Amino acid sequence: MAEASITPESFLPLTPAVFHILLALADAEKHGYAIMQEIEDVTDGRVQMGPGTLYGSIKRMLAAGLIEESDDRPDPTLDDERRRYYRQTGLGRRVLRQEAERMAELMALARRKHVWAVFGSRSILT
Amino acid sequence: MSEASRRIAQHAEASGGIAQHPEANGVSGGMTEGAMRENAATVDLSVRVYSWLLAAYPRSFRAEYGNHMAQVFRDVCLRDFRRGGARGMASLWARTSLDLLRTTVEEHIERGIDMSREKFVRWSGWALMAGAVLFAAGLILGSFDSFDMDPIGGVDAFYEISQAVGLTLGHVLFVFGLLGLRTGYTGRSGSLGAALLLLAVIGSVVSLAGLLVMSSIEAAWQVWMGGFLAMTLTLAVFGIVAVRRRVFSRWNFAPILAGVGLPLLFGVGIAGVDSVSGQAPEWASFVAVVLTSVGLILIGYRMQADAGAGSDALA
Repeated sequence: MAEASITPESFLPLTPAVFHILLALADAEKHGYAIMQEIEDVTDGRVQMGPGTLYGSIKRMLAAGLIEESDDRPDPTLDDERRRYYRQTGLGRRVLRQEAERMAELMALARRKHVWAVFGSRSILT
Repeated sequence: MSEASRRIAQHAEASGGIAQHPEANGVSGGMTEGAMRENAATVDLSVRVYSWLLAAYPRSFRAEYGNHMAQVFRDVCLRDFRRGGARGMASLWARTSLDLLRTTVEEHIERGIDMSREKFVRWSGWALMAGAVLFAAGLILGSFDSFDMDPIGGVDAFYEISQAVGLTLGHVLFVFGLLGLRTGYTGRSGSLGAALLLLAVIGSVVSLAGLLVMSSIEAAWQVWMGGFLAMTLTLAVFGIVAVRRRVFSRWNFAPILAGVGLPLLFGVGIAGVDSVSGQAPEWASFVAVVLTSVGLILIGYRMQADAGAGSDALA
């Protein structure tokens, strides 16, 4: 797919699954189980993705050019070589950034409307 | 058992079962060897059942991701069993069943839409090719009609009927073909390309409408010509977009070829090459018809070839 011809905005808003997968791949390339594990960890178990959702999303993200398969292995001795690793593409990074900005704008709006307040490092939905 | 399911089951066996998995270390904590073996069997059975259930997904999806899904499920099984025992497994199965149900439906729907779209684009490509041949044959045979304005019949009936049938069927097929062109390539064409393709479709519909009422309404001739000119001109401009954005996998110049014939013919006529009649000469009409038809045939061939190559060639 021609990456240059697609604007990041055309992907927004992202589904929660796609957003979480892109976020999980933001700092390193990962295989399916590692993606799933990270999503559960960072959301304290509130988001639990099944294998069907994970690989259905991965399939669509590969087709859209948001992620790509990686041949690199962080440490081949520690891992099963049958696992497929995935990483973000340039388009995927731009889409994630745009989505984060969109969410930030929404949160700012919610704050202005006194729907949401920040107390120190904790946020409370009122 | 299907080939994909068998491969998945083999993969699960080749992974060495629960005892060799890194997550299995926690399973043994505080258990007797017999209990550990029994629980390992529970996990292996779960993985086996899940591998069987993967048969519910479309074949292509299963072939591409089935092994990986089974492997991920196995990893999650081991983790949840270590954390929560049988209760953890029950919770995992509740979540997984819902996930399986929802995503199998999604994948089948998505596959159905992709298949329908590819099929439509493929058939539209054939329609555009057939339409171009009929259009060219109709106009070329019609040119042998010695007197254009008489009703159908008499000594020139064959040429007149050939022209009427060729043009009418050709235009019907153009509408179908251009709809397929828009369906298959809007995503790759950008907003300008998509708008041009829509205008080309509208032009072809207007042209067909003009052609159908030509025998009863005198002004319909202008409607037919106007629609056809709009269709070909927008195709020519779309060709520039196609060349710049590489809309087709090959032959992106084809819409320009399909689109320049008629405007050129008008240009030649307006320039008064044939000053006696004030119309374009026969050779110019012939060149215009051939250019238009060859261009449309090339577009149609590309459409059916791209659709046959799979959804990646379309967008």
